[in-house]
Amino acid sequence: MIGVQRVIYHLARLALALVFVYAGAVKMQNVVAFAGHVAAYQILPYAMNYLVAATLPNIEFLAGTLLLLNLRVRPALVAVGAMTLCFMAALVSVLARGLEIDCGCFDPGGGQDVTAGVALMRDIGLMALIVMTWWLRSQTTARDEQKLS
Amino acid sequence: MFDDMKRISLEACVLIALGALFGLTLNHQLVMDAFSGRLVTPQSQIVQEHVPGAMPVPVLLDEVRQLTASGALLVDARNPELYAMGHIEGAVSLPIVEIDDVLPDFLERVDKGRSLIIYCSGFGCPDSFDLGVRLIEAGYREIRVFEGGFPEWRDAGLPVAGEG
Repeated sequence: MIGVQRVIYHLARLALALVFVYAGAVKMQNVVAFAGHVAAYQILPYAMNYLVAATLPNIEFLAGTLLLLNLRVRPALVAVGAMTLCFMAALVSVLARGLEIDCGCFDPGGGQDVTAGVALMRDIGLMALIVMTWWLRSQTTARDEQKLS
Repeated sequence: MFDDMKRISLEACVLIALGALFGLTLNHQLVMDAFSGRLVTPQSQIVQEHVPGAMPVPVLLDEVRQLTASGALLVDARNPELYAMGHIEGAVSLPIVEIDDVLPDFLERVDKGRSLIIYCSGFGCPDSFDLGVRLIEAGYREIRVFEGGFPEWRDAGLPVAGEG
């Protein structure tokens, strides 16, 4: 059971890592187009959309890389969790205002539109995966500490 | 436990700050231009230097109104049938689906120094961006894309023309 938990933890960590590394990398390639997607949310003032587009993909990429390398996993989980909560709040606001936009979650120039509703469902799943990874990490760490003492 | 959470939160903040710093280092020119309202100038420089991958600049509804008031030309990238049914008042039709046929005439009529704002059927519609790239390649230097497009303009109650 303990071994299974450990395997599931590593699989969940790698899945999260790939999602965030990919999301960050594709948006870093096309910052201007991503700024257009951020502007579509109609939440931030004009120039702030560019600030978010310039910084957010790099944070996603860095957090994803740490998860991939199994380094500073819990701080990386807090960072991706905080970002996912922000995305969910933005998507709820889009749905509440009835805006019909592409979420801009991944490739900003990809032309594959994902509605706010679908993106929100996906983010809820992602949040569940983040919480599960955190819990499994705590379990395995506590067990390792018990063994050492 | 509390100390542990404090340390993890602090490390998460450092991670976010490092990521943001890295992003700002890579894109400082774009961010500075956005905050100083000079986004058009570097775009012009990029095009003049013929750097591959130059992109049109996205603009919002309020800016479209200001820019058209100061002489920018609105360009409708949708197909001719949609243009005929309804378009932004004052916009000219330049359908991306017929670009090879209609571009020569457009080049004759519209000066390359003119500021252009391209739109199509709203967010998620790629035609305005694609047309923007084509017009940059054709030599136009001030290309913006209004991603809200015709639906956002119409829904804001602004003037439209066409058969309705």
